[in-house]
Amino acid sequence: MGQKMIIEVEGLVKHYGEVKAVDGVSFSVEEGETFGLLGPNGAGKTTLMEIMCGLRRFDQGKVTIHGFDLVKDSIKVRASIGFCPQETLLYDLLSVRENLAFSAALYSMSSKKFKERVEFSSKVLGVSEFLKRRVQQLSGGMKRRANLAASIIHDPPIVILDEPTVGFDPTIKREFWELIRNLKSYGKTVLLSTHDMYEADEICDRVAIMEKGKIAALDKPHVLKKTIGGEPSLHIKVKESRVKKALKILEKYKCTVVADEIQVSATNPWEIMTEVSDKLVSQGVYTDKVEIVEPSLEDVFIKLSGRRLTEEEGEK
Amino acid sequence: MNSTMGIAVKDIKYFFRERGTLFWTMAFPILIMLLFTAIFGRQIPFNATIGLVNNDNQPTLSEGLISVFNSTGLFTIKNFTTQTDALKELNATTVRAVITIPQNFSQDLMSLGHATVSLVVDGTSPDAAQLIRSAFKTSVVAYYKAVLNYTEPITVDEETSFVGQKVGYKENLVPGMLCYPLLFSSMVVSTGAIVYERERGTLKKIRASPIRPINVLIGKTIAALFQTAITILIMAVLAVTLLAPALNWNVQLLIPIMFLGSMNGIALGLIISCIGRAPQEASNAATTIAIVLQFFIGMYFPIEYLPTYLQQIGKVIPMTYAAQALRDIMIRNATFADLLIPMLTLTLSAAILYGIGVLLYRRWVEK
Repeated sequence: MGQKMIIEVEGLVKHYGEVKAVDGVSFSVEEGETFGLLGPNGAGKTTLMEIMCGLRRFDQGKVTIHGFDLVKDSIKVRASIGFCPQETLLYDLLSVRENLAFSAALYSMSSKKFKERVEFSSKVLGVSEFLKRRVQQLSGGMKRRANLAASIIHDPPIVILDEPTVGFDPTIKREFWELIRNLKSYGKTVLLSTHDMYEADEICDRVAIMEKGKIAALDKPHVLKKTIGGEPSLHIKVKESRVKKALKILEKYKCTVVADEIQVSATNPWEIMTEVSDKLVSQGVYTDKVEIVEPSLEDVFIKLSGRRLTEEEGEK
Repeated sequence: MNSTMGIAVKDIKYFFRERGTLFWTMAFPILIMLLFTAIFGRQIPFNATIGLVNNDNQPTLSEGLISVFNSTGLFTIKNFTTQTDALKELNATTVRAVITIPQNFSQDLMSLGHATVSLVVDGTSPDAAQLIRSAFKTSVVAYYKAVLNYTEPITVDEETSFVGQKVGYKENLVPGMLCYPLLFSSMVVSTGAIVYERERGTLKKIRASPIRPINVLIGKTIAALFQTAITILIMAVLAVTLLAPALNWNVQLLIPIMFLGSMNGIALGLIISCIGRAPQEASNAATTIAIVLQFFIGMYFPIEYLPTYLQQIGKVIPMTYAAQALRDIMIRNATFADLLIPMLTLTLSAAILYGIGVLLYRRWVEK
């Protein structure tokens, strides 16, 4: 990872009427880094990204991208970014290649460079199989790949992806993560927003957790989990809903119940795992699951906000 | 490819792929031209059925009068035996007027030198009524002069002056019809330009790129010009083949005027497109504005028909200058020098409209 900061955001504020959608956000992203904005719907992730892409104005703060001030050098900033929003921004009646050509034209790309970039997209994003097909004939996954290819056809150093895998099934989601990793391997700086904690954990070098327009925490996923998420805990699911009896048996431990699952907190859960299991079985309480669960970014978010990541809907 | 041409090429490709749009772009000028040809392409663009009740005892003279009336070619005569029957049909609007010639018509005319004929006209159609009255009175005077050797006290030596072509109704109409695409096609096509991108979400892609607003508008204009040119071409070809008007088709002058006129229409459409929040809203706005404007710019009738204060409005609408310039070229054989003022006016107004377009793009689209 390079040392140069390619994105710098300082004290960014954006209001929608009375509502403060982005509230004094500051962060910076290193060149070549994959940086995640993690937060529930309505946290201000999309607004923040759209500001960075020049799609929205902001009220206060300073944004520097690729060494250019967003306000003063808006055109240069836009040329440095490949923006891929949640929705597919392709023309249904044009072929994928024609869509790519249109995107390339927006950046006044030469035909030679365009050919090279189409080859790159074919290789890295796997669009060659449907280059000649009209967008209306593509599956959802193909459209997303074509959309990403169109967003980065101009070979930008920075790629901004807004909820890139929302609505994907797990298999396609993993394929898409691989595409994002590929981009990183080509030296691209990736800034992505997500409300999927696993996605952030899987592909991001660093994550900023956003809540109500602010950054609540920012660090590498494993550091966040360790410092904020707490220690690993023992998760037990008992058969026949005998939760009450199990809690009585385990009264000497620090237990909490989350969705019919008993979570036992301990400094070292591996030490007590066998003992707890034996105690339950010896008193006739059988288990479906006994496992040690590491804290996730979801736990980090719960610790920070007191609620789950997926509780709210309807981000603006 | 540069970004401006990129937008134009994309829009033109899209135009050809959207079959409905393509169909209606072709169908619009064809339907309009076929309709206008059917209405105005004939030698005499009027025909009404007139009821005739001839009660004359000695019908020699009355038949002569009817023959003169019939020779105008404007009417089809339907005979009735009684005026009551004829008036029933007048009420049913199957005839537009009823002429009743009394029993002693010929006798009175020969002995007294004067006779009365009854004319009842359907007043629910003022234009037709006026035409029938006028034609009938003219026929009566003509007949009277012929049969009785009558001389009018004052003779009007009438002459019609034509600067350039000698024109008939269709020659006057064709330049007006060519304003249709300048006003309707250009505005309707460009109205969708921004608002549809917004609806599809693709405006985000354009706005996130380093393209400048003026380049977006120019790219959209090139595509809209292309579509408008197709409509103009179809209308012009059909006008020549179907109506065969005796007009001066000075392409070197017609093209710049049509280009400038289209630019004004397109710029107006783009302004609506920038402001419009939904395609339907923008489309309704463009249609309404175009329909209102057509009465101000002298497309179908001279702006002198308008009340004085409305004429003043017509004079500040750039398209009025395009309409007049087309007539001047095609009818009056205007030269480049004659067209300098309309050309400058159209250029200036297009520049102002594009300036407004850029401001609105920044204000409404990039907000």
